[in-house]
Amino acid sequence: MASVSVSHMILFIASMLIAASVAGVFTETVGQLSSAIDDQGLQVSEDVRTDVEIISDGSVDAYNGSYIRLHVKNTGSESLVPVTDEINLFVDGRFVPAGDVSVTLLSDGDLWRPGDVVRVDVDDDTFTIDGDVRVKLVVNGDEEVFEFRT
Amino acid sequence: MGFSVSGSAAIIFAAMFIAFGMWHSAATDGFERVTDAQDAHADSALDRQNTDIVVESAVKDLDAGITEFRVRVNNTGSTALSVEETDALVSTDTRGEYRDGWRADATVAGTPGTDLWLPGEQLVFNLTGNTGDRVKVVTEHGVADSAEVTGT
Repeated sequence: MASVSVSHMILFIASMLIAASVAGVFTETVGQLSSAIDDQGLQVSEDVRTDVEIISDGSVDAYNGSYIRLHVKNTGSESLVPVTDEINLFVDGRFVPAGDVSVTLLSDGDLWRPGDVVRVDVDDDTFTIDGDVRVKLVVNGDEEVFEFRT
Repeated sequence: MGFSVSGSAAIIFAAMFIAFGMWHSAATDGFERVTDAQDAHADSALDRQNTDIVVESAVKDLDAGITEFRVRVNNTGSTALSVEETDALVSTDTRGEYRDGWRADATVAGTPGTDLWLPGEQLVFNLTGNTGDRVKVVTEHGVADSAEVTGT
């Protein structure tokens, strides 16, 4: 009779351990999934809130012989960081490395707040400017195109 | 045996309850964030549609040797704009130049020092310094208008 109780006890402990392990793995996995959902929600909301406009005058040659100068205004509701890593540029379909791009905030502070303007200078080290030029700027998934003629 | 099954089931159900709570709060937060962002985007798009400006004139004046442009811009839309968030660029044939420092002396409907630029009102400001052929004015929503500089 005692052996039956012991075997029941062993089975009980084993089932508790297995259930606890399953519960631990389950909650851990759902926790990671929740964290990913949270991050993705934040990222999507930043993408939706981001909107920029290239406000340079298109009738003017934006190229001065060594670099292209653009003025870009934050017209969204998200504050951005005015660094070259946050801004991707393509000139005539060719990607411009961050080292050839210089970003200057034209207002006080460190953040590119809604309504603020940045000056973007693009060195012509990796491309040749001739005739019609198409510059594509990408910030947080928001794409803007600026075209001018040299 | 009955205790084993009941106890295990209780632990699993408790874990499922906790996991659902974690997932639900994360999903709700994310959904709310995205919904708020979409609302802000829709509001901004509506404001942009309702915004319109016209550069009435950009007149160059030579006064005491200083080249000065007097720019008059009308708010012809139906949204209130901010002078502080309005930008001006002056262009020559070869170069566009962002201009700052004009807001302090700008007037709206004859009132100096105001930030509100209401529908139907005229913003008047001076751009001093370099020469230029065109003036472009950009509102906070990115709606812009430009005009050739006239006068001597």
